[in-house]
Amino acid sequence: MQNKLLFHQSSASLEIIGLPDYSNNENKDQISIISQWKLNIVDKPLIEGKIEHLGPIMNAFYIYSNLLIKNEIPIYESKLIDIKADNLHIHNIVLKSSKPNVKPLVLKIGNSLLSDTINCFDQLNESPKVRIKKNVVSNYVPKKGRFGLNKKVKFFNFFIPPFIAICSLILFSSSFIYFYSPFENIEKKEQLNQNKDPLAS
Amino acid sequence: MTIWKLRNNNPLRKSYVTNNIKLNEFDALIRVTVEMSKYLYPYIREILKSKEDIEENSVIWNDFNKRFIELIKERFNIDSMRVKKLLNQAENEEIIIKSLLILSFCISNQGYQKLKNFLHDF
Repeated sequence: MQNKLLFHQSSASLEIIGLPDYSNNENKDQISIISQWKLNIVDKPLIEGKIEHLGPIMNAFYIYSNLLIKNEIPIYESKLIDIKADNLHIHNIVLKSSKPNVKPLVLKIGNSLLSDTINCFDQLNESPKVRIKKNVVSNYVPKKGRFGLNKKVKFFNFFIPPFIAICSLILFSSSFIYFYSPFENIEKKEQLNQNKDPLAS
Repeated sequence: MTIWKLRNNNPLRKSYVTNNIKLNEFDALIRVTVEMSKYLYPYIREILKSKEDIEENSVIWNDFNKRFIELIKERFNIDSMRVKKLLNQAENEEIIIKSLLILSFCISNQGYQKLKNFLHDF
């Protein structure tokens, strides 16, 4: 007999079906071996799959929601799922089947359904009754983006101060050209020498 | 009371104090925001939804936007460029939607950490 757990948020519900890992002395109501999951969004076709699909789909939603908020281009593309923003309010989801000759499932959801779905995934992540391997669902904050930002900031911190210092030095020293011209001085000295010579003779 | 007083640290207000808020006060504000988001999630969701099908259900969005602008005019320094941007209906839509989305994504038990991450990334 398999266990079923339901995570519900307004118009979205996520059902997780699986078994406890008895070899780890887990409780009867625990789920560690997920055999199936179903994401039901009101007025939309049912989304279901195996455990290997759940992680990438959850990650796709988390990464996409981050891009959406951070004023970056909200596009997520992978072998399994594409999410793009039609506009500020509507999101276009394309779920691609791993089976051949099966057309991709296209869904359009609004911000309200997007937040319901994210909240269902959050409930699953936080549930003590479901144990998901860490490699299945990674941290929702894209580390690559964070690292890139830090790297950029460090680069600018390293590069900008000496650059400004060199520029200001050039600007400052260029003003002295008006006070001292070496060519003018040489010409003046030559003229003086020429004037002195006839007197000497 | 202390948290309520912290609202005066907002430089967009008509009168504000220039003190820097402490880390524990910042944390407290985030916790209050997350708890309020949990409580107000059904309303936040309805506002977002009303904007999705604006032709059918524009009443909620219009009411919210009207009240938002009223509150800003009442309490914020309307000479500031940033406040003017909030009042401009052509520009404020994106700011409002994104703010509501952030709040709606942070209603879980780990919402405090999520909101903190979002704010650090700004």
